[in-house]
Amino acid sequence: MLVAALAVYPAFGTGYGVRAMLQIFMWIALAGSWNIISGLTGYVSFGHVAFFGAGAYAGAILIAKAGWPWVLAAPAGGAAACALALVIGYPCLRLKGPYFAIAMLGLNEVLRALVSYFEGLTGGGSGLSLPTLHATVPIYYAMAGTAAAVTLLTFLIITSRFGLRLMTIREDELAAEAMGIDTARHKLYAFLLSAAGPGIAGALAARDQGYIEPISVFPLATTITMIVMALFGGKGTVWGPVFGAAVLFVAQELVWARFPYVHQLLFGAIIVAVVLLMPRGVLGILQVKYRLPRTI
Amino acid sequence: MPAPVLELRRLSKRFGGVTAVDGVSLALEPGRIYGLIGPNGSGKTTLFNCITGVERRDGGEVLFGGERIDGLKPWQIAQRGIGRTFQIIRVFPELTALENLLVVTRGAIEEARAHALELLRFVTLERLQGEYAGNLSYGQQKLLEFARVLMRDPALILLDEPAAGVNRTLLNDLLAAVARLRDEGKTVLLVEHDMKVVMGLCETVFVLDHGEKIAEGPPGAIQADERVIEAYFGR
Repeated sequence: MLVAALAVYPAFGTGYGVRAMLQIFMWIALAGSWNIISGLTGYVSFGHVAFFGAGAYAGAILIAKAGWPWVLAAPAGGAAACALALVIGYPCLRLKGPYFAIAMLGLNEVLRALVSYFEGLTGGGSGLSLPTLHATVPIYYAMAGTAAAVTLLTFLIITSRFGLRLMTIREDELAAEAMGIDTARHKLYAFLLSAAGPGIAGALAARDQGYIEPISVFPLATTITMIVMALFGGKGTVWGPVFGAAVLFVAQELVWARFPYVHQLLFGAIIVAVVLLMPRGVLGILQVKYRLPRTI
Repeated sequence: MPAPVLELRRLSKRFGGVTAVDGVSLALEPGRIYGLIGPNGSGKTTLFNCITGVERRDGGEVLFGGERIDGLKPWQIAQRGIGRTFQIIRVFPELTALENLLVVTRGAIEEARAHALELLRFVTLERLQGEYAGNLSYGQQKLLEFARVLMRDPALILLDEPAAGVNRTLLNDLLAAVARLRDEGKTVLLVEHDMKVVMGLCETVFVLDHGEKIAEGPPGAIQADERVIEAYFGR
């Protein structure tokens, strides 16, 4: 029912409605992907938007400079993000706790600087324009597919022993190693899987917006938003990031429309409330309280 | 004498200026239970950590089944067949009891589940299989950790203070289980402060003091050893 409703929505919805749904799909893909590495292994990535930005630039360059159609540029954006994850995951995943978080934060700043520096390819600080194309509805479906794929991937991981092993890293990495679990390899796989979604979403967002610049695709606020969405919905659950992304996006829009000057403040208050009052998130609390299976 | 399962050759580990393990050599034969005792801070847990790869040794060799394993990663050593428990329990609290065992398995899920349930039955935790490990009592968590070690069917099992904090009934079950494992041909090395446990179960006891092995022998002889008494009670 829901799937069918979402599938026909572009035919009936307003322009604003379709764009809003597209944004929700993007946040589901981002929050869900962050959940795969950070919600399951406990390695908090504070620079996950780097994969979004890498996908956006890879996709935009392929479209604008190489003339690729966006349907091919989008998976290429995902591949670029995975390649980046492979290169930086290998050294960075050896870092524990806050050091990993800080390294990821640093990575994002480095990427932003690099993109600004290589003006010939990226347009530097003045940004990169894509050829005009009205493709909001096809991109709506592509983004919906990305969100669905990330959620399905999360489901498959969480219901497998691979997913349980990722959780042992979060629970007690030393004990996991002592049990014969190759934690380094598991973390790297999870990291790669968590980079693909943001890479694809980044390329799609770049195509949709038609113009990207370093500050628009590497903002720290995007990382924080996806983290808050995953935490609010329930980290380490399948549907938590979906729920968190949908609810918080709508809440943010409502607040922004009514209280344009204080919406940042209110969003900040939500972050503090979530962290303090329900670190497990909505679905996490329900899961523990009502003994729900891991499939939620 | 059969080929040793585990052999330490002049194993050393320093932390800054402190020598935690100081040239310890010992050999464990298959199918026997060994005790490792010594006052607090004598290097027992550090020795465990060096064997299992948690700590890098500074000198000496560790041989398992005749092959060098020092320098391997903890997970590689575990996969070769050394299982351990921890002094402070390290179960995975937000995984269920059953999941705690399933994580180490590969291959067909049905077989893995059957094997895990069998081991949960072995440690009398079968009815708690769906409970989060963090909700189990201290003693139950200890049993779960023990069952988790057995999932890989290790040839050598290192137990760090299995008796601490476990009530008498549970303890007797645990000790009976350890004796059964010995009868199956497995080798057990246990660190323990409870002398009754050590004396009742171990065939050979090693004594550490300030990182050095100061005595080795059957429990009766160890209890009468002058150096051991001195290490525990002072001169």
